[in-house]
Amino acid sequence: MISFLHYVVRRAFQNIRNNLFPNLTTIGIIGISILIFSTLALISLNASAFLKIWEEKIEVIAYLRKGTPLKEVEGLLEMARQIEGVEGVKYVSPFDAMAFLESKLGDQKNLLHGIWPTVLPPSFEIQLKREYRNSIRIREVVFRLKQFPQFEEIQYGQEWVETFSALAHILWLTQWILGGLFVVGIVFITSNIFRLGLAARHEEVEIMQLVGASPAFIRIPFYLEGLLQGLLGGGLAIFLLYLLHKVFFLHIPLSIQAWLARIPVQFLTPTMTLWILIGGMGLGFFGSLVASMRFLRYN
Amino acid sequence: MIQMNHVFMTYPNQVSALSDITLEISPGEFVFIAGPNGSGKTTLLRILFGAERPSRGEVVVNGMKITERRFNRVHSLRRTMGIVFQDVKLLRDRSVSENIFFALEVTGHSRTEARRKTWEVLSRVGLQERGRDSVLNLSFGEQQRVAIARALINDPPLLLADEPTGNLDAQVTTEVMEIFTSLHKKGTTVLFATRDMDLIQRYPHRVVYLSEGKTVDVGKGIER
Repeated sequence: MISFLHYVVRRAFQNIRNNLFPNLTTIGIIGISILIFSTLALISLNASAFLKIWEEKIEVIAYLRKGTPLKEVEGLLEMARQIEGVEGVKYVSPFDAMAFLESKLGDQKNLLHGIWPTVLPPSFEIQLKREYRNSIRIREVVFRLKQFPQFEEIQYGQEWVETFSALAHILWLTQWILGGLFVVGIVFITSNIFRLGLAARHEEVEIMQLVGASPAFIRIPFYLEGLLQGLLGGGLAIFLLYLLHKVFFLHIPLSIQAWLARIPVQFLTPTMTLWILIGGMGLGFFGSLVASMRFLRYN
Repeated sequence: MIQMNHVFMTYPNQVSALSDITLEISPGEFVFIAGPNGSGKTTLLRILFGAERPSRGEVVVNGMKITERRFNRVHSLRRTMGIVFQDVKLLRDRSVSENIFFALEVTGHSRTEARRKTWEVLSRVGLQERGRDSVLNLSFGEQQRVAIARALINDPPLLLADEPTGNLDAQVTTEVMEIFTSLHKKGTTVLFATRDMDLIQRYPHRVVYLSEGKTVDVGKGIER
């Protein structure tokens, strides 16, 4: 068994060394294919992170009728917290609202001079659980809140929430459809590249079959070669993507950089990097497997 | 050693290559498969080494019924035989010994054993001195001897040769034939396909003559 493994590893490396140019071509093509896929993954990762920042801002504001007694507010707060999908409720008194307005106006807070806080209605700021921060489920919470006669008006930025939900859905669909199409394309390209590689070595394969090499002796080094090529292709893709990521930040205008500074533009996470490498290996293996079905058949 | 019973071979394009071949070859025999181009010699050999499945009939080689539907041990079958072709099928980017070593390595021999055996089989065909040379530096006759050496790596009891002297001049043909004769004398069964009737006349072996896919004559060659 050990000598077989030794043979498989030695043979795979010998094959790579003896057919260096076709192997480098295969690694390059796998690398470029994975680079395209991982660029999409990186864009999607950052777009998701960007949408998550927006998502955090989704909340419901319920304005209380003027003159609602404070002792009633306590009970109402408790009841609002019991509603399914509600994560937390904060009471905002007219004074809190005024302080908020002042902080927003900054140097121009003098504009509020002479206005009594009591003109502002007291309200509840209602934070939602993550799964309720979309246009459909938020309505369930709003519907429950509307059952309370103490609330005069309920706002949740309907248009904003709907736009956000549509964007999130489009991104999710794009990720899967484009990603799926890329995977199919990459598998097709790599299996054909492996076929070409095998066709170039048909004499070697023919001799192996002629002298009675067992299918395992013929195929397994070839699969290992595919795994290695996939791993190197994946590594190349990640390296190129990292360079692109760096270059992207070097060549964007300062104004955009300042804007981006508020949004964390991230590189692939270690887990994603690992999955891309595993994916590359899988791709290499699958490509060699498909190619072997035709070219390594015993005849 | 070899039994063929009512073997037919028709290709998908309806070309009939063999028609009702019945043949028995005993261990230790030297048999010429003779006939002109297109007579079915190569097809017959390809069936014997498992590269083709006949359309009909039964074939048993070295105790293996290779026409059985479930037969999937072609590699085991090939380890019981050596195969030599007219086009030598050598790896041109390697040396003589590397060609033999490669064949030994892929058939599961350890590196030490493969090294030892490489030189052993090369000496059997008189090429131990040329082991380190590139095959491109050899004459065609020498290349054919390397191909014969490679066919001997598994010490096969059966040798199948498909016109191995087809491209050789008279002198080299004699040298190659001497190797086959010597192997036959040591007990190896040899099936030698050729269209060279002069060659057949020079060696007193059994002849199976094929014409248009049919066995038309079975008999002994002319005694020298």
